[in-house]
Amino acid sequence: MTISFVNSLQSEWIKRKRSLASWLAIVGGFFTPSIIIVARIVHSDRLPALYEASGFWKLLWRNNWESMALFLLPIGVILATSLVTQMEYKNNTWKQLHTVPLSLTTIFFSKLVIILAMMLQFFLLFNIGIYLSAVIPYLLFPGVSYPKESIPFMWFLKENMYYFVDCLPIIALQYLISLRYKNFLIPIGAGFMLWVAALGSLSWKYGYVIPYTYSMFNFLKGEVVSKASVPAANIHWMAVGYFIAITGAGYVLYVTKKEKG
Amino acid sequence: MYSLETRELTHRFSKNEIILKDISLQVTEGSIYGFLGPNGAGKTTTLRLVLGLLKKQAGIISFFGQPFNENRIGVLRKVGSLIESPSLYGHLTATENLSLLQKIYQCPKTRIQEVLNLVGLPDTGNKKASQFSLGMKQRLSIAVALLHSPALLILDEPTNGLDPNGIIDMRELLKKLNRDHGITIVISSHLLPEIEKLVTHVGIINKGKMMFQGTLSELKQKEQQSSVVIDTSDEAKAMQIIGNNGMAPEIRNGKITLPIMAKERIASVNRQLVNDGIEVYEMSIIKNDLEAIFMDLINN
Repeated sequence: MTISFVNSLQSEWIKRKRSLASWLAIVGGFFTPSIIIVARIVHSDRLPALYEASGFWKLLWRNNWESMALFLLPIGVILATSLVTQMEYKNNTWKQLHTVPLSLTTIFFSKLVIILAMMLQFFLLFNIGIYLSAVIPYLLFPGVSYPKESIPFMWFLKENMYYFVDCLPIIALQYLISLRYKNFLIPIGAGFMLWVAALGSLSWKYGYVIPYTYSMFNFLKGEVVSKASVPAANIHWMAVGYFIAITGAGYVLYVTKKEKG
Repeated sequence: MYSLETRELTHRFSKNEIILKDISLQVTEGSIYGFLGPNGAGKTTTLRLVLGLLKKQAGIISFFGQPFNENRIGVLRKVGSLIESPSLYGHLTATENLSLLQKIYQCPKTRIQEVLNLVGLPDTGNKKASQFSLGMKQRLSIAVALLHSPALLILDEPTNGLDPNGIIDMRELLKKLNRDHGITIVISSHLLPEIEKLVTHVGIINKGKMMFQGTLSELKQKEQQSSVVIDTSDEAKAMQIIGNNGMAPEIRNGKITLPIMAKERIASVNRQLVNDGIEVYEMSIIKNDLEAIFMDLINN
């Protein structure tokens, strides 16, 4: 990793300050946990039994991930990735960025790394939110005991990693499209259509060819009864493959673009 | 040595649409080079090409004697630019806008306040760029271009949107940068009066072709070539009469034009035309000032 790449990362990190994409990562991280906290407060009479039941943490995890894996994570990734690149179009700053002494490779990959770092930030905040959605009701209601089971850290970590890997193809494709088009509606529209296509193809046996399905399949694989056609193949490796291929294509399209600002 | 030189730079957006044809710019080190031309002449396209914002199709671009494509990063370390409208992140403060570039150029952090002071924005560091007026945005963009102490500054119409005071301030700032810091400046404009008090060298472009390139004094030499314009009721007959008197009249813009001559001779021509029954509506001396030369170059 060259010094100029590190310098470029620092520069990109400043750009995300107070941006819509960074707010999205923060709000997105706490959105579902907040809903769960409110639901538990409303149904506080059920809490003592819930907190004493076995499998508390895994159930809490699934409750939090249900809407996240199917809806909020893909949509959030589509929005955040597009917003990071559209920041340059909106502020008319591509021409500035392309006249600084950085190679196009450095510019391309430092932006991508910042998007991935923001995703990690979101995952961290979401995990904190999940923990808070367990702790806050416990602190609010005296009759509720702290779960006896210890937190399955390694399982959480593994699942986090799976979800992170599963949304990599979405990041790569949204990044490619939003670097290519000035009009914000194009990456958002394309992302939304692919997300709808992914939802519609969950029960199709070849649904896994759509790169936006993987976080959904990762969640649905744990369902006892599922209408989804969860593939037997390892979707996480497929996600990595898509990510590498789409990122490669995005890079070639970016460096060969005739107009750079 | 030339800070910037192009040779036979040609660019087309489509097969039949030539935007630039054989543009050969020569920007002498230490000069202030005014790149002039009407809107749509090809100024911005030329500057975008030399900075690598457009893919070069034909021709040679070199900075400080080095070819640009082979030395892009090294060259860009020594060049500051402002192309058309300001390039600023609206959600960031002035200091943050400069700070993100300071990280790339690795210049001292103290340089941020220095350039803010230099462009007359000393107390605006914590204000978001989106809250700036257009004039302030232009100044901040100049600060961005100056942050890494470039040897060459390329400014594309930097006075767009500035009020008269802002234009004067900008001119004084650029003179100061050139005089005190030795920065070579290329400034494009479509208005000659706006930059004639600033530049040492001039390049005039029209419809993608260079019409003139040289020092301001070379351009001013053309100023001496004033002319006499005569508007009559019968141009053909008047041309014949004047020609018979050993003069070489021409028709320009529908009027007879003669090289400048003594006022007694002008009176004599007038008398002769009237005696021959031609009505003379206008007889005037056109002083060929810089504006007229510019207009003449771009209209021909």
